[in-house]
Amino acid sequence: MKPMKFIFTVVLFSLLVPTLAFARGAKEQQPVRIALSGNPDTLDPQKTAGTLTFQVIKSLYDTLIEPDPKGNLVPALAERWEFRDEGKQILFYLRKGVTFHDGTPLTSKDVASTLRRIQDKNTGSPQAAEYSLIKGIETPDPLTVVLNLSSPSAPLLATLASGWSAILPAHLIEAGHDFGSKPVGTGPFKFKSWIRDNQILLEKNPSYWMPGKPRVQGVEFRIITERSIQVQGLLSGQLDVIDMYDAIDLPLLQKNPQVKVEKVLTSLVMVLAMNTSRPPLTDLRVRQAINFAIHKQEVLDVAYGGGIPVGTFMDASDPFYVDFTSLYPYNPEKAKQLLREAGVGTDQPLEMVLPQNYEPHVRAGQIYQEMLQRVGLSVKIRLVDWSTWISDVYRKANYDLTVIGHTGKLDPDSRLSNYGTDKTYVRWIHPEAASLITRARQTTHVEERKALYSRVLEIMAKEVPFVFVGTSYRYIGTRKSIEGFRIQPKLDAYDFRDVEVR
Amino acid sequence: MRIRIRRKRQKIQKLFLFTSTVYLCFLLFAALGSSYLTPHNPTTQNLDQRFLPPLTGGRILGTDDLGRDVWSRIVYGTRSLLIIGTVSVAIALTGGLLMGILSGAVGGIVDSFIMLLMDGILSFPTVLLAITVVSVLGYGLVQVTVALGIVFIPVFARLVRAETKSRLTEGYVESSRALGTPFPLILLRHVLPNMMPDLIAQSTVTFALVVVIEASLSFLGLGTQPPEPSWGLMLKESRNFLYQAPWMAIFPGIALAATVFSFNYLGDYLSEQLNPQR
Repeated sequence: MKPMKFIFTVVLFSLLVPTLAFARGAKEQQPVRIALSGNPDTLDPQKTAGTLTFQVIKSLYDTLIEPDPKGNLVPALAERWEFRDEGKQILFYLRKGVTFHDGTPLTSKDVASTLRRIQDKNTGSPQAAEYSLIKGIETPDPLTVVLNLSSPSAPLLATLASGWSAILPAHLIEAGHDFGSKPVGTGPFKFKSWIRDNQILLEKNPSYWMPGKPRVQGVEFRIITERSIQVQGLLSGQLDVIDMYDAIDLPLLQKNPQVKVEKVLTSLVMVLAMNTSRPPLTDLRVRQAINFAIHKQEVLDVAYGGGIPVGTFMDASDPFYVDFTSLYPYNPEKAKQLLREAGVGTDQPLEMVLPQNYEPHVRAGQIYQEMLQRVGLSVKIRLVDWSTWISDVYRKANYDLTVIGHTGKLDPDSRLSNYGTDKTYVRWIHPEAASLITRARQTTHVEERKALYSRVLEIMAKEVPFVFVGTSYRYIGTRKSIEGFRIQPKLDAYDFRDVEVR
Repeated sequence: MRIRIRRKRQKIQKLFLFTSTVYLCFLLFAALGSSYLTPHNPTTQNLDQRFLPPLTGGRILGTDDLGRDVWSRIVYGTRSLLIIGTVSVAIALTGGLLMGILSGAVGGIVDSFIMLLMDGILSFPTVLLAITVVSVLGYGLVQVTVALGIVFIPVFARLVRAETKSRLTEGYVESSRALGTPFPLILLRHVLPNMMPDLIAQSTVTFALVVVIEASLSFLGLGTQPPEPSWGLMLKESRNFLYQAPWMAIFPGIALAATVFSFNYLGDYLSEQLNPQR
């Protein structure tokens, strides 16, 4: 019996070992699998405003310049750039030897056609306005692009580093190619297939301009809308990367030794917005009282999965951020006193309109309601769907209080433009702030801009058209074997160029 | 042998009946005297006491994600539940009676028209129709109550019409008519009392349906507005915390299931007992 058993074991093992080896080999050939929380509307970079699209196309296309992880602009397809004519002209010098996925080399013509396409009304880009100050595009030689601007603009560089400015091949633009479903770019991965509502498959671009990158064979975006299913997918090894906006499932993920979770700051500013055109919120004392009544860290921890309080309208990780959190610490007694001075009590109920599809905001809203009730304000909650929120609250300012998160862009101007005028949903009017914001937009000198913006942020922090609650965290869950995955928070783009499978 | 099984079945039936009745009486009591059943306010948050498991910190059923007492929220949730149930069944019953009697007694083109309308309403899935009505009227308790009332009118209308038609052909009605009794009086004396058992049974079953749909609407965020307690809303809020705090979902779920079971059981029993023909 014994020798029989021995032989049996040996046979079994000899069968098993190659299988294991094969399994490992197969694993390295596998693409990195990441969960995507919905189906992108298109993969054409110019025709969308959707986050989902930008999460995917960062791997397919490149821009002239791009942000590094800290948000500084660094060379990409352009090796270097310079301002001329007091900022009214920008020169870009393109990198040599870059090719598109179809093999054609990148030239200045491609850049010119790309920018003309996004300016063209027929393209119908939601972002076209940001490019309107480019009055002329010249291509003196195949590797130089000259942009002539109607006025100096600091935010334009950031615009050119955002996903909308992805460079497309000129010959396909002329041919009317459908970039939306068959993207062709210079990016680290080539488009392979897209099964709607199921998956998007990309494969390695072997002739990418960054030497040695990408390091994995491909990327597979799995479209999974339900968060709990994404979490289960990561735990069971069906997924390699998931991206979460709250910390609810953290304990579950931390228990699994095969999974690691990284906490990164988002570029969001979570706010309790106040309609400053409606009494009693027209009274600065009432807005201050509301600020004193809110325990910001507690709201961040309970509703938003943790975060850092901010005291003004800029996210905590932005280079332009200035700390004003000491202005309005949690102080309910002070709040009560200010409300007494203003003569406001429970007899003037405020209506808080909440977007019901964003559960964290609904949760935060209930906490605010309770905190405000404790200092003697009565608040009534009304849930609305997202389209009603956009039309009623954001456009028509038909509300007293509302709860939302403001996303950040690469340039502070996109967050701050229009504030101080009656065009924003808080209806906060402050001519000085508005003119400072306009001046900062037209200055290309970084230090000067910083000074102007810090003055704007100080005014907003003192005048409090919002309760600036804080910047929340997001959580990236990956399998232990995955290294090097990054998110550029300002662009909300996934970067797989440095990803390695161990 | 057969008798024994029958007796056993009767025993179980009696037990169920007893439990259902007691449970529903308890619901009524909970709605009227909520504050006697729990020391905690259902909307007060205790952010330092979030996710307490049941039977800790003086919380029978634990606390939710904002540190609110789950037991209190269930108890206070009975109020909106019973109000919505009673009022919308009353709306459906009244509307159904009017339509049904009109349809059954007048007949002809009026009958065809009303029934066309009722069939039209019936052909929509109930929840979808309720969502449509709520979207038009706006979110909130009153709107949901009216919406559910409207949605269930056809069920009663069809029942009343059928009853009216069949009663009007019965011998005693015809003889009463021959004696010169005015038509409205015939309806009031002979037709209405005879359909009471069916209406009571139907009301009870509809009540159960209303409870479920109200919970669904609140789950979708269309019904009761936070922070007011509602079982559907509690289930909605618990969805994200299933691993961390399962009690947030389990207890309102049990309460809801028990309520629906009790109403359905009572409805079946009543229709069996009150209907002399069966």
